[in-house]
Amino acid sequence: MTDTGYVQILDLVCGGILLTAVLMLWRRELAAIVRLLVVQGVLLALLAALMGVRESSTELFVVAAGVLVLKAIVLPAVLRRVLRDSGEAREAEPLVNVTASLLAAALLTLLAYGLSRPLVALAPSPTTRALPVGLAVVLLGFFVLVTRRRALSQVVGFLLLDNGITATAFLATAGVPLVVELGVSLDVLLVVLVMQVLAARMRLSFGRTDLDGLRELRD
Amino acid sequence: MTASGLTAGALAATAGQLALVVGGAPLLVGLMRQVRARLEGRAGAGVGQPWRDLRKLLGKEAIRPDGSSWVFTMAPLLLLASTLVITAVAPFLSTVSPVEGVADLFAVVSLLMLGTVALALAGLDTGTAFGGMGASRAVTVAALAEPTILLAVFALSARVGSSNLADIVESTLTTPAQVLSPASLLAAVAFAVVIIAEAGRLPVDNPATHLELTMIHEAMVLEYAGRDLAMIELASAMRLTVLLGLGANLFMPWGIATTVAPLPLLGAAVVFAVKLGVLGAGLAVFEVFVAKWRLFRVPELLAGSFLFGLLAVSASFFLA
Amino acid sequence: MSLIGAGLGVIAWGAIAGVTLGALAPSRARALVAGVLTSVVGAGGVLAGLAALGGQGWSLTVTDLLPLGAMTLAVDALSGAFLLLVGAVAVAVGVYSVGYTGPGGRHGAEPDATSGDTTALAGPSSEPGAAGHAEGAASRTAQSALPLFVAAMLLVPAAASVSTLLVLWELMALTSLVLVLAEHRLRASVRDAGLWYAGMTHAGLVAIMLGLVVFAAGAGGESFTALRAGSGDLSPGTRSLVFVLIFIGFGSKAGMVPLHVWLPRAHSEAPSHVSALMSAAMVSLGLYGLIRVGFDLLGGGPHWWGLLVLTVGGLSALYGVLQASVAVDLKRLLAYSTTENVGLMLIGVGAAGMFAADGNRILAGVLMAAAVLHAVNHAAFKTLLFLGAGSVLRATGLRDLDLLGGLARRMPVTTALFAVGALGAAALPPGNGFVSEWVLLQGLIHSVTATGSPSVVAALSIPLAVGVVALTAGLGMVTFVKAFGVGFLARPRSTVAAAASESPLTMRAGMFLAAAACAGLALAPATAGAPLTRLLRVLPSVRDGAPLADSGIALRLAGIAGSMSPLLIALGLLVAGASVAALARRVAQGRPRRVAQAWGSGGARLDPRMEYTATSFAEPLTRVFDDVLRPEHDIDVTPYVESRYLIESVRFRQRVPDRLEARLYPPLLAAATRWGQWSRRLANGSVHRYLAYGFVGLLSVLIVVGISG
Repeated sequence: MTDTGYVQILDLVCGGILLTAVLMLWRRELAAIVRLLVVQGVLLALLAALMGVRESSTELFVVAAGVLVLKAIVLPAVLRRVLRDSGEAREAEPLVNVTASLLAAALLTLLAYGLSRPLVALAPSPTTRALPVGLAVVLLGFFVLVTRRRALSQVVGFLLLDNGITATAFLATAGVPLVVELGVSLDVLLVVLVMQVLAARMRLSFGRTDLDGLRELRD
Repeated sequence: MTASGLTAGALAATAGQLALVVGGAPLLVGLMRQVRARLEGRAGAGVGQPWRDLRKLLGKEAIRPDGSSWVFTMAPLLLLASTLVITAVAPFLSTVSPVEGVADLFAVVSLLMLGTVALALAGLDTGTAFGGMGASRAVTVAALAEPTILLAVFALSARVGSSNLADIVESTLTTPAQVLSPASLLAAVAFAVVIIAEAGRLPVDNPATHLELTMIHEAMVLEYAGRDLAMIELASAMRLTVLLGLGANLFMPWGIATTVAPLPLLGAAVVFAVKLGVLGAGLAVFEVFVAKWRLFRVPELLAGSFLFGLLAVSASFFLA
Repeated sequence: MSLIGAGLGVIAWGAIAGVTLGALAPSRARALVAGVLTSVVGAGGVLAGLAALGGQGWSLTVTDLLPLGAMTLAVDALSGAFLLLVGAVAVAVGVYSVGYTGPGGRHGAEPDATSGDTTALAGPSSEPGAAGHAEGAASRTAQSALPLFVAAMLLVPAAASVSTLLVLWELMALTSLVLVLAEHRLRASVRDAGLWYAGMTHAGLVAIMLGLVVFAAGAGGESFTALRAGSGDLSPGTRSLVFVLIFIGFGSKAGMVPLHVWLPRAHSEAPSHVSALMSAAMVSLGLYGLIRVGFDLLGGGPHWWGLLVLTVGGLSALYGVLQASVAVDLKRLLAYSTTENVGLMLIGVGAAGMFAADGNRILAGVLMAAAVLHAVNHAAFKTLLFLGAGSVLRATGLRDLDLLGGLARRMPVTTALFAVGALGAAALPPGNGFVSEWVLLQGLIHSVTATGSPSVVAALSIPLAVGVVALTAGLGMVTFVKAFGVGFLARPRSTVAAAASESPLTMRAGMFLAAAACAGLALAPATAGAPLTRLLRVLPSVRDGAPLADSGIALRLAGIAGSMSPLLIALGLLVAGASVAALARRVAQGRPRRVAQAWGSGGARLDPRMEYTATSFAEPLTRVFDDVLRPEHDIDVTPYVESRYLIESVRFRQRVPDRLEARLYPPLLAAATRWGQWSRRLANGSVHRYLAYGFVGLLSVLIVVGISG
């Protein structure tokens, strides 16, 4: 693969990851958000595969396959089940409205760019230069966690956070050891399953999965 | 070529793109309506229908509502004049212009805004609720679109080091790989949203509606008739053409002449017409599949495109 | 004797003549005398300013004039720019004031709706009388204060020592306060405005005084020459303290957020020609002070000074334009627009400071030039707009846009001139505001290429600044489409507006002068190139720049690629418009436009109450920015007595309060009141106690002297 070709594909894939993250803030339908998660998972796998080609390492291809299976197939399937059981199709009223969320996303992305400048300066290469994308996705994930009400959106925010960390790891270290990636992935799966159960219990107790309902537990 | 010959050739190029845009704009609108009609299973009125409408309007009596002032009669003139000036200074056929540095991308954007303002004032001047409503909505959308446009301009001119239109086009011609850079792609998306908002297309405004609750552009021009309406219709078609033409030549300038020799100019005219036709048809197809949004979801769209503009600028800062 | 000296002489003698003649002249001649002398004083400023911008220098020290020391004056190109600005505004205002303060007109009386309120159902109400006119802006005090105010403003940029500057600054504040209060007997709201203005302006004075005193103490001298020489010896901490203090002080005069609260009150309650002077000229002197002390005397500073100014500027621009875009009171709208424009100037100054700290003098020069150019442009269009608002107020007694309308046919000259100003303020070509915003944007967008690798702070703040400037421009356009479209076009929304008639000749002449300045600045901005270069030479950190190349018709930026020709754009618009009009005339074959009823959806005749008002026009924006503006709604439903299901009338009121003011000031005022209550205990009326205070004071001074000696 030529150098410029690699850089362009890398930039496109990273741009796609950021784009899907932003679109998740924009869309209200939870089903559409899950579809976006699938796309993001595929892009992450592509990123891993791309690094694999670059570094010619088989291990990275295995990681890519793992990412594809977990993030593009298994987790979305779990989420779809939660969605089907809950019957809540939309993130009705986020704490921060969509327009403001998008503007906040713009600021967070700028911040990510600014903050990762010293990191990029350590080892300037096309790969590290895309590092801000990973950081931005992490920040956006946090933002979703903070501002969305539905339990499912919380899971989405958590997954976004994890995707951001994965992307950052790929970009910063040119791939992580297989064992580490495997461990992290299993953790994520476990957390999502736990949250699924939790959401189901919440629905049984409160009739909805609005997190603000949890306040009642305090009294 | 001598200096005077160069100026004469550049003048010819300017005259050529004026003629092309004035003559072609109604045809472009006709083409878009035809594409839409076919996709919706209708026969359509034919590509030449907007021109026939214009001819018909020119023969009709012009009317002015009671209580309106000179602003109402001047607005179509100002709208058309501002669009003509943009058409003359934009690099549609050749990057060589008769007078260097008359207007850059900022000036072009502001001239577009001037046209919007002229129509909005005319809408208010009619003294009807519809006119005021259309004016209010049109300027709100335009105001919220402004940051996006300027950030897209910023991103485009940052990589060239100049906001001069011809410089941007020439820079893209010399290094075509720039087009696929993240900054340029993000700016293109932001610019596309702006074109939709400024030209009043779906999902921001429905150009074919006269339903009170949804119309923006049509509400402002409701009181016009005869030659005044013809001017506005022509100017609106030209604005759409100019916006699509700018989008085409800023992001895919191939085919534009870098000299003022007759043959490249002729080729550039053909390529430009084809590019516009493809873009227009694409927009028409897109419009078949979307519905008009509520007015208060439009800020979401514009905030999204603002984000793209900002990302484009920061990409040009950080990835440069 | 130099031209500058002559100009300053004209200012001084004109002011003295103004005060005496204004006080002595019979009431019939008073308006004429005060107006002419104000214009003469202004002309002196224009003369001195032009000479200084042409490259002349001048200085003067008069000992024993002030109680504390010598009065020192010096004029350089930076002073010259502001002398010219203030002087030109004063010339137009002087001519205008002859008609405005002359007999006739409905201004001065209580307006129909209280400012900031919107009454959608408010019909035409009782006509305000012209009573009490002579005791308003035409009173002896107000008329003789006018030339003095102008002279004080003109001498501020000429001051060359701390004490001179402070005395003149205070003179300017006091005379303007007198003028703001001119109509206090006619409207209760004037007193409130005066109180706010006095409070804010003196808080600002204290900040400036503290800053300059610290500076002078550190530099070992109070003349500007001594300050300039000694600024290098100050510790970085002291320098920053001085900068922050003078930024707060001068910023409060400039009306930056959150110290802008006096602007909407004072500007809307003062007589309109005074509003024009304050908003166009006095506010710019805040910018002058910031540039003079920050960039000349302190000689520029670290990166974060620039960032501070840039941030405050961005917030001011956005907040000002948002409030202006939803304002319903015409003069309040213009006042908030002043905050917006000051914000834009501060963005220019702040970015210039940032790039100067980075050592990029070319960009710093362009941005500083943009800020000064915008101050000049703002002065031109804001004078015109306030004078236009004054004409409307005089003709109708109204400032409420919701009750205006239909003036285009009743006051054609005022309408056309207001349109020129609105075009400038909306930053659209071929207006003059567009030119300086263009230079500002060029300076900002070239930060990527010109600096090579910008610092992180610049890389984060500059794109946001561009976004802010763009949103400000967009909302500014909405604001002035509303002000012009709702205020002047369509049909009148009240009987008073329907009965309006054109202003007297002098008022039209004053507005025409301002409009001519707008046109000149819009079409030939390149002529400002050489003077701006001289101006920048005064500022050590941006000294090298020659921002605008004077290249005839096109405006070219030196050092960075950017050119635009406002003249050719205007010419193109004219030619295109004329040829289209000629074609349309041929097509029309002499058939005139028929005047017909507007379409009323097939219903009955449209009456003026069905027109869009300023409130309804701004409604989409109010909703979009709901989270920032937090409008207050108030709906009154009155049913018929017979049945509560049949509604007789619905009354809807919307108020958009100034949220910053409502959030920030009440706690401050409450604290001040508490402190005042507490300190009342010190003064219980006992003479013995007062004498004891003096004794204790004397003792402590002696002890301090004894210890330190």
